[in-house]
Amino acid sequence: MHPLDSTTTAEHRAAQLEEALNEAAQVNAELQSRDALKTQFLANISHDLRTPLTAIITHAEILRDGILGPLSEKQRESVTSIISGGRQLLEAVGEILTYARGAANQLTVSPSEFHIAAIVAEVSALNEPLIAKKGLSLAVDVSPIVPALVADREQIMHVVSNLLGNAIAFTPPGGRVWVAVSYASDTGSPSVQVEVGDTGIGIAPEHHDLVFREFAQVDPSPSRRHHGTGLGLTIARRLVELNGGRIWLESRLGEGSRFFFTLPAGAAER
Amino acid sequence: MEARPHILIVDDSAAVTGALRVLFEETGHDVSVAESIRDAVSVAAERAVDVMLLDLTLPDGDGLSALAAMRMQAIEPRVTAALTGRAEPEIAARCTAAGCRAVLVKPVPIAELLARVREWTEG
Repeated sequence: MHPLDSTTTAEHRAAQLEEALNEAAQVNAELQSRDALKTQFLANISHDLRTPLTAIITHAEILRDGILGPLSEKQRESVTSIISGGRQLLEAVGEILTYARGAANQLTVSPSEFHIAAIVAEVSALNEPLIAKKGLSLAVDVSPIVPALVADREQIMHVVSNLLGNAIAFTPPGGRVWVAVSYASDTGSPSVQVEVGDTGIGIAPEHHDLVFREFAQVDPSPSRRHHGTGLGLTIARRLVELNGGRIWLESRLGEGSRFFFTLPAGAAER
Repeated sequence: MEARPHILIVDDSAAVTGALRVLFEETGHDVSVAESIRDAVSVAAERAVDVMLLDLTLPDGDGLSALAAMRMQAIEPRVTAALTGRAEPEIAARCTAAGCRAVLVKPVPIAELLARVREWTEG
């Protein structure tokens, strides 16, 4: 081959490569803009779903409470089911909205000082009827040395509520669910650790990463026994990380699950 | 006989105002409905409002500006409660600063809503 030819070939290849890179950059930009559109769509649709749901639930409560006249016991039961179905749907819609805002980086942290024990007590009380109904036992153990935290109270409450909700949902009747809060000050960065554990169905180690991924269900079949948006843990991870902590789990199939998250402590003194 | 308390419901969703109208009319209140800031202000100009339930996103602007406009014309409701889609501290703070007595997240359980409104109209 003539040396001149090889130079030409090299130049030609370089040009080709540059073209390919440009194309890739264009495709990437296009994908990003579509992803932003999808996120905006999710936010809009969630808002539009809430409005009719609000009307449905309010009307159903008016009927249930006999404001339009007395109901038979069976009618009341039926209307009560409409309300609880509606509230469940509302929660799912709220999750989608939170996810969409998280994906669009629209979630902001409003820090305040609070005690995690108060949140654990509040969330436990809210879940008590469900725990009793399923015949589960709940144990709460908060170490007395846990200091006050500075974080977004609403967001941390959402995380605890999500983890406890999952623990209850995936634990068969007769099982145990627990929340334990401890404080680690011996490391360079002192932190508060919250554990939410259960004796439920557990998660195989190969699925541990999957559960934090958006829209993922370990069992995606339509006949699966546990339903949800598949966003709960994705949101929980996002919220924990926004507040400077981390979240992980320890679990094996059939041996229950233990979810942990940490939050930096000592921020109050800063 | 004492006049029935006058409740003004401001929300651009007819589905939502319809449900609240039934609730309050059936429990001894006079109900007016407005779908915009402009409508809300003209209702308040016509008859004094005891309690205004105010949605924050209205077709002609931020719901809280209805409250500001009423205050300028000295036709402010005795009590205003904001009705919002989401409980966020910054929204709540904005409503309180604007003069709302309460910030309630839709759908407010009706037992709670009735109790609050009774407390404001009887107190």
